[in-house]
Amino acid sequence: MIQTFTQLDLIRFIYNETTNEQHRDIELALLCNNELMEEYKSLKSTANALAKVSYAPSNSTIEKILNYSKSTNLHTTH
Amino acid sequence: MNNIELSDSKLVSLYIKGNEESFEVLLNRYKSKVFTNIYLIVKDTYIAEDLTQDTFIKAIKTLRSGRYNDEGKFKPWVLRIAHNLAIDHFRRKKRYPTIVMEDGSNVFNTLEFSEAPYENFQVQEDTKKKLRSFIEELPENQREVILMRHYQEMSFQDIAESTDVSINTALGRMRYALINLRKKMKQHKIAYDSNIYPT
Repeated sequence: MIQTFTQLDLIRFIYNETTNEQHRDIELALLCNNELMEEYKSLKSTANALAKVSYAPSNSTIEKILNYSKSTNLHTTH
Repeated sequence: MNNIELSDSKLVSLYIKGNEESFEVLLNRYKSKVFTNIYLIVKDTYIAEDLTQDTFIKAIKTLRSGRYNDEGKFKPWVLRIAHNLAIDHFRRKKRYPTIVMEDGSNVFNTLEFSEAPYENFQVQEDTKKKLRSFIEELPENQREVILMRHYQEMSFQDIAESTDVSINTALGRMRYALINLRKKMKQHKIAYDSNIYPT
Protein backbone atom coordinates (compact mmCIF):
# COMPACT_ATOMS: atom_id res chain seq x y z
CA MET A 1 0.00 0.00 0.00
CA ILE A 2 1.37 3.41 -0.98
CA GLN A 3 1.31 5.91 1.85
CA THR A 4 1.13 9.62 1.18
CA PHE A 5 2.45 12.21 3.55
CA THR A 6 1.73 15.86 3.91
CA GLN A 7 4.34 18.52 4.51
CA LEU A 8 2.96 18.83 8.03
CA ASP A 9 3.68 15.14 8.67
CA LEU A 10 7.27 15.90 7.77
CA ILE A 11 7.39 18.56 10.49
CA ARG A 12 6.05 16.04 13.03
CA PHE A 13 8.72 13.60 11.86
CA ILE A 14 11.54 16.15 12.22
CA TYR A 15 10.42 16.95 15.77
CA ASN A 16 9.86 13.31 16.73
CA GLU A 17 6.13 13.71 17.22
CA THR A 18 5.08 10.72 15.14
CA THR A 19 4.17 7.27 16.36
CA ASN A 20 6.74 4.51 15.81
CA GLU A 21 4.67 3.21 12.90
CA GLN A 22 4.36 6.64 11.26
CA HIS A 23 8.07 7.19 11.81
CA ARG A 24 8.96 3.97 10.02
CA ASP A 25 6.53 4.69 7.15
CA ILE A 26 7.92 8.19 6.64
CA GLU A 27 11.48 6.86 6.67
CA LEU A 28 10.56 4.44 3.91
CA ALA A 29 8.76 7.17 1.95
CA LEU A 30 11.83 9.41 2.20
CA LEU A 31 14.04 6.68 0.77
CA CYS A 32 11.67 6.21 -2.18
CA ASN A 33 10.88 9.86 -2.89
CA ASN A 34 13.73 12.21 -3.80
CA GLU A 35 11.58 15.33 -3.68
CA LEU A 36 10.37 14.51 -0.18
CA MET A 37 13.94 13.71 0.86
CA GLU A 38 15.18 17.07 -0.40
CA GLU A 39 12.50 18.92 1.53
CA TYR A 40 13.29 16.88 4.62
CA LYS A 41 17.00 17.65 4.39
CA SER A 42 16.30 21.34 3.95
CA LEU A 43 13.91 21.59 6.92
CA LYS A 44 15.98 19.31 9.17
CA SER A 45 19.22 21.20 8.61
CA THR A 46 17.49 24.48 9.49
CA ALA A 47 15.97 22.95 12.63
CA ASN A 48 19.43 21.64 13.59
CA ALA A 49 20.93 25.10 13.15
CA LEU A 50 18.35 26.49 15.60
CA ALA A 51 19.59 24.10 18.25
CA LYS A 52 22.89 26.01 18.23
CA VAL A 53 21.23 29.31 19.14
CA SER A 54 20.94 30.15 22.80
CA TYR A 55 17.98 31.98 24.33
CA ALA A 56 19.08 32.63 27.85
CA PRO A 57 19.84 35.53 30.16
CA SER A 58 23.34 37.02 29.99
CA ASN A 59 26.24 35.84 32.14
CA SER A 60 26.06 39.07 34.12
CA THR A 61 22.43 38.37 35.09
CA ILE A 62 23.34 34.81 36.10
CA GLU A 63 26.20 36.18 38.21
CA LYS A 64 23.86 38.66 39.95
CA ILE A 65 21.40 35.88 40.80
CA LEU A 66 24.14 33.61 42.15
CA ASN A 67 25.67 36.46 44.15
CA TYR A 68 22.28 37.26 45.63
CA SER A 69 21.85 33.61 46.56
CA LYS A 70 25.26 33.50 48.25
CA SER A 71 24.54 36.71 50.14
CA THR A 72 21.42 35.18 51.66
CA ASN A 73 22.99 31.86 52.63
CA LEU A 74 22.93 31.71 56.42
CA HIS A 75 24.67 28.31 56.38
CA THR A 76 27.84 29.63 54.73
CA THR A 77 30.94 29.27 56.83
CA HIS A 78 34.02 31.40 56.15
CA MET B 1 28.56 18.61 41.62
CA ASN B 2 27.45 15.59 39.64
CA ASN B 3 23.99 16.82 38.70
CA ILE B 4 22.99 14.29 36.06
CA GLU B 5 20.97 12.08 38.39
CA LEU B 6 19.77 14.71 40.83
CA SER B 7 16.07 15.54 40.62
CA ASP B 8 14.73 19.06 41.10
CA SER B 9 13.28 17.93 44.41
CA LYS B 10 16.66 16.73 45.67
CA LEU B 11 18.38 19.91 44.49
CA VAL B 12 15.80 22.08 46.23
CA SER B 13 16.22 20.07 49.40
CA LEU B 14 20.03 20.42 49.27
CA TYR B 15 19.75 24.16 48.58
CA ILE B 16 17.48 24.72 51.54
CA LYS B 17 20.13 22.99 53.68
CA GLY B 18 22.73 25.48 52.44
CA ASN B 19 24.27 23.86 49.37
CA GLU B 20 24.87 26.73 46.92
CA GLU B 21 25.90 24.53 43.99
CA SER B 22 22.50 22.88 43.89
CA PHE B 23 20.84 26.21 43.10
CA GLU B 24 23.35 26.86 40.34
CA VAL B 25 22.31 23.54 38.80
CA LEU B 26 18.63 24.50 39.00
CA LEU B 27 19.39 27.93 37.55
CA ASN B 28 21.29 26.46 34.60
CA ARG B 29 18.56 23.88 34.10
CA TYR B 30 15.74 26.43 33.84
CA LYS B 31 17.26 29.81 32.93
CA SER B 32 16.49 29.38 29.23
CA LYS B 33 12.90 28.22 29.80
CA VAL B 34 12.22 31.05 32.27
CA PHE B 35 13.77 33.63 29.96
CA THR B 36 11.86 32.42 26.88
CA ASN B 37 8.62 32.18 28.85
CA ILE B 38 8.93 35.85 29.85
CA TYR B 39 10.17 36.96 26.43
CA LEU B 40 7.09 35.45 24.76
CA ILE B 41 4.92 37.72 26.91
CA VAL B 42 6.90 40.97 27.10
CA LYS B 43 8.53 40.65 23.63
CA ASP B 44 11.54 42.68 24.74
CA THR B 45 14.86 40.99 25.46
CA TYR B 46 16.04 43.63 27.95
CA ILE B 47 12.86 43.49 30.00
CA ALA B 48 12.94 39.68 29.79
CA GLU B 49 16.48 39.78 31.17
CA ASP B 50 15.41 41.91 34.17
CA LEU B 51 12.34 39.83 34.88
CA THR B 52 14.35 36.60 34.69
CA GLN B 53 16.57 38.00 37.43
CA ASP B 54 13.50 39.01 39.48
CA THR B 55 12.01 35.53 39.02
CA PHE B 56 15.00 33.68 40.42
CA ILE B 57 15.50 36.18 43.24
CA LYS B 58 11.87 35.71 44.23
CA ALA B 59 12.41 31.94 44.11
CA ILE B 60 15.50 32.26 46.32
CA LYS B 61 13.59 34.39 48.87
CA THR B 62 10.78 31.84 49.07
CA LEU B 63 13.17 28.90 49.36
CA ARG B 64 15.24 30.65 52.03
CA SER B 65 12.18 31.65 54.03
CA GLY B 66 10.97 28.06 54.29
CA ARG B 67 7.69 28.93 52.58
CA TYR B 68 8.31 26.66 49.59
CA ASN B 69 5.77 23.87 49.64
CA ASP B 70 5.77 22.78 46.04
CA GLU B 71 8.43 20.13 46.51
CA GLY B 72 9.09 18.05 43.44
CA LYS B 73 7.48 20.60 41.16
CA PHE B 74 10.14 23.25 40.94
CA LYS B 75 9.79 23.74 37.20
CA PRO B 76 6.05 24.65 37.04
CA TRP B 77 6.50 26.72 40.21
CA VAL B 78 9.35 28.84 38.87
CA LEU B 79 7.63 29.19 35.48
CA ARG B 80 4.50 30.39 37.26
CA ILE B 81 6.54 33.06 39.08
CA ALA B 82 7.99 34.13 35.71
CA HIS B 83 4.56 34.24 34.09
CA ASN B 84 3.07 36.28 36.94
CA LEU B 85 5.94 38.79 36.88
CA ALA B 86 5.57 39.22 33.13
CA ILE B 87 1.82 39.82 33.50
CA ASP B 88 2.47 42.27 36.38
CA HIS B 89 4.85 44.12 34.08
CA PHE B 90 2.01 44.60 31.60
CA ARG B 91 -0.33 45.85 34.34
CA ARG B 92 2.26 48.39 35.51
CA LYS B 93 2.82 49.48 31.94
CA LYS B 94 -0.93 50.05 31.61
CA ARG B 95 -1.00 52.16 34.78
CA TYR B 96 2.03 54.15 33.71
CA PRO B 97 1.73 54.48 29.94
CA THR B 98 4.89 54.84 27.92
CA ILE B 99 5.87 58.48 27.39
CA VAL B 100 6.35 59.11 23.72
CA MET B 101 8.54 61.90 22.35
CA GLU B 102 7.54 64.21 19.50
CA ASP B 103 9.39 62.01 17.02
CA GLY B 104 7.45 58.98 18.25
CA SER B 105 10.34 57.36 20.12
CA ASN B 106 10.06 56.07 23.66
CA VAL B 107 11.51 58.60 26.12
CA PHE B 108 13.04 55.79 28.16
CA ASN B 109 14.74 54.03 25.28
CA THR B 110 18.04 55.84 25.68
CA LEU B 111 17.98 55.62 29.47
CA GLU B 112 16.74 52.10 29.91
CA PHE B 113 18.76 50.53 27.16
CA SER B 114 21.98 52.46 27.43
CA GLU B 115 23.66 49.68 29.35
CA ALA B 116 23.11 46.63 27.23
CA PRO B 117 24.28 43.31 28.66
CA TYR B 118 27.97 43.01 27.87
CA GLU B 119 27.47 39.56 26.43
CA ASN B 120 24.54 39.42 24.09
CA PHE B 121 22.88 36.23 25.31
CA GLN B 122 26.15 34.32 25.29
CA VAL B 123 26.04 34.11 21.55
CA GLN B 124 29.56 34.96 20.53
CA GLU B 125 29.90 33.60 17.06
CA ASP B 126 28.74 35.68 14.15
CA THR B 127 26.63 32.86 12.74
CA LYS B 128 24.69 32.44 15.95
CA LYS B 129 24.08 36.17 16.16
CA LYS B 130 22.79 36.19 12.63
CA LEU B 131 20.50 33.26 13.31
CA ARG B 132 19.07 35.05 16.29
CA SER B 133 18.46 38.16 14.25
CA PHE B 134 16.75 36.05 11.58
CA ILE B 135 14.45 34.61 14.24
CA GLU B 136 13.64 38.16 15.40
CA GLU B 137 12.75 39.12 11.84
CA LEU B 138 10.18 36.34 11.44
CA PRO B 139 6.45 37.16 11.57
CA GLU B 140 5.30 37.04 15.19
CA ASN B 141 3.29 33.82 14.94
CA GLN B 142 6.25 32.01 13.33
CA ARG B 143 8.75 33.36 15.85
CA GLU B 144 6.41 32.30 18.66
CA VAL B 145 6.19 28.69 17.49
CA ILE B 146 10.00 28.51 17.08
CA LEU B 147 10.57 29.79 20.61
CA MET B 148 7.94 27.54 22.13
CA ARG B 149 9.10 24.36 20.36
CA HIS B 150 12.86 24.85 20.42
CA TYR B 151 13.48 26.75 23.63
CA GLN B 152 10.52 25.82 25.80
CA GLU B 153 10.34 22.26 24.51
CA MET B 154 6.56 22.42 24.13
CA SER B 155 4.87 19.84 21.92
CA PHE B 156 2.90 21.03 18.89
CA GLN B 157 -0.28 20.02 20.71
CA ASP B 158 0.69 22.24 23.66
CA ILE B 159 1.60 25.10 21.31
CA ALA B 160 -1.75 24.77 19.52
CA GLU B 161 -3.64 24.92 22.83
CA SER B 162 -1.52 27.76 24.16
CA THR B 163 -1.96 29.91 21.04
CA ASP B 164 -5.57 28.88 20.45
CA VAL B 165 -5.06 27.45 16.97
CA SER B 166 -5.37 23.97 15.46
CA ILE B 167 -2.37 21.65 15.59
CA ASN B 168 -2.12 21.84 11.79
CA THR B 169 -1.87 25.63 11.98
CA ALA B 170 0.93 25.31 14.56
CA LEU B 171 2.73 22.77 12.34
CA GLY B 172 2.20 24.98 9.28
CA ARG B 173 3.64 28.00 11.09
CA MET B 174 6.70 25.98 12.03
CA ARG B 175 7.12 24.85 8.43
CA TYR B 176 6.97 28.42 7.13
CA ALA B 177 9.31 29.57 9.89
CA LEU B 178 11.90 26.96 8.89
CA ILE B 179 11.49 27.80 5.18
CA ASN B 180 11.89 31.53 5.87
CA LEU B 181 14.93 30.97 8.07
CA ARG B 182 16.45 28.73 5.44
CA LYS B 183 16.00 31.46 2.81
CA LYS B 184 17.69 34.01 5.05
CA MET B 185 20.54 31.60 5.78
CA LYS B 186 21.07 31.06 2.08
CA GLN B 187 20.97 34.79 1.35
CA HIS B 188 23.63 35.39 3.99
CA LYS B 189 25.59 32.30 2.98
CA ILE B 190 25.34 30.72 6.39
CA ALA B 191 26.60 27.17 6.27
CA TYR B 192 24.21 24.42 7.08
CA ASP B 193 24.54 20.69 7.29
CA SER B 194 23.36 19.28 3.98
CA ASN B 195 24.28 15.77 5.04
CA ILE B 196 21.12 15.03 6.92
CA TYR B 197 19.48 11.67 6.60
CA PRO B 198 16.48 10.14 8.31
CA THR B 199 17.19 9.17 11.87
